[in-house]
Amino acid sequence: MFEIFAFTHVHNGSLPKSSMTIYSLYIYDRHCACVYYHDWHRTRRPKPAVEGGILPAVSQAVLAPVAESNPSTLAPYSSPRNTLTSASGVVVAVNEFNAQSTASPLLQAPPSPVGVSSTGLAFDEEVKLVYGVVFSLRNMVKKLSGRDEQFVSYRTSAYKLHLFETLSGYKFIMLSDPGTESLRFVLRQIYVGPFLEYVVRNPLINMDSKEYGVDNEYFRASVDRMIRGSSFFP
Amino acid sequence: MAIFGLWVINKAGGLVYQRNFADGLAQLTSNEYLVLAGTLHGIHAITSRLSPIPGQSSGAQVIEGETFKINVLLTLTGTKFILLTSPAEPASTIDVLLQKIYSIYAEKVMQNPFHTPEMPIRSEAFDVSLGALIG
Repeated sequence: MFEIFAFTHVHNGSLPKSSMTIYSLYIYDRHCACVYYHDWHRTRRPKPAVEGGILPAVSQAVLAPVAESNPSTLAPYSSPRNTLTSASGVVVAVNEFNAQSTASPLLQAPPSPVGVSSTGLAFDEEVKLVYGVVFSLRNMVKKLSGRDEQFVSYRTSAYKLHLFETLSGYKFIMLSDPGTESLRFVLRQIYVGPFLEYVVRNPLINMDSKEYGVDNEYFRASVDRMIRGSSFFP
Repeated sequence: MAIFGLWVINKAGGLVYQRNFADGLAQLTSNEYLVLAGTLHGIHAITSRLSPIPGQSSGAQVIEGETFKINVLLTLTGTKFILLTSPAEPASTIDVLLQKIYSIYAEKVMQNPFHTPEMPIRSEAFDVSLGALIG
């Protein structure tokens, strides 16, 4: 009798999901350049890029600081993570190409208040390393399997990197904590949803250019909303 | 659930042992294996630099493709043991297997007085024990 009772006990609800942390998102185009960067729980800020190292309109948070102050060009959308503005009192408007071309005060810019980056690298170097790792791993996986096989993810003791590649050559890369299951479907959802809506179908975004990224306020807000609203974000 | 192959890489990044077990991956020339091993050695080093959180990160431990995965054990001496398996293999089995391979390596290769460290492994005892372990 006891055994029958035990078998009829139904386990209600699913097992509690351990919360997974998403650290950051990078998007690269087919020219191997980073066109978008977004981060969430990254505990140490990335160091701002040296001038000219990254394209404008990738992410306000990692643009090189500009000493020139011009309040009339205040961007309507100011990222809350744009800590660079507090150092020099400047907001660099997104897509404002001219602001970046004032070169000389840049090199004497005061050190960023955000402290040491977790990788110890400037952002543009880090971005290139990420791309290089992904590119090499993709080739390796293709070579080893002999078929046209996709590299999906890799895990280290501290993080896990997921890759989703589209047919047009755009690569969506996400870093999360190592316990996470494959986030490829999330990256695919970002592509199918916010990316197609606010980047591909946006006539103002010059997609295949080699000079601009694809950062715009709608895309950034909707990606943010999508990730924060998903079930695994703590 | 299959083991496709095993590679052993010395601390300089050179391939010292390579063996295929089950079929499933492409047959490559020994030169191609050498190049891939060197690439993996470099990638392993870079991945430990890219951590988004402060503190130490190991290098890549598992690299997943669609039909296989690459498992890496980095020992304290800098030698890497790379096991290529099917994606369904559970991580615990693979960890245990990699540790056993490491202990076979320590017994049959390191304790062999005629073996030069960091040089390619040519040891029948090693091959036989691996065959018994993996099949």
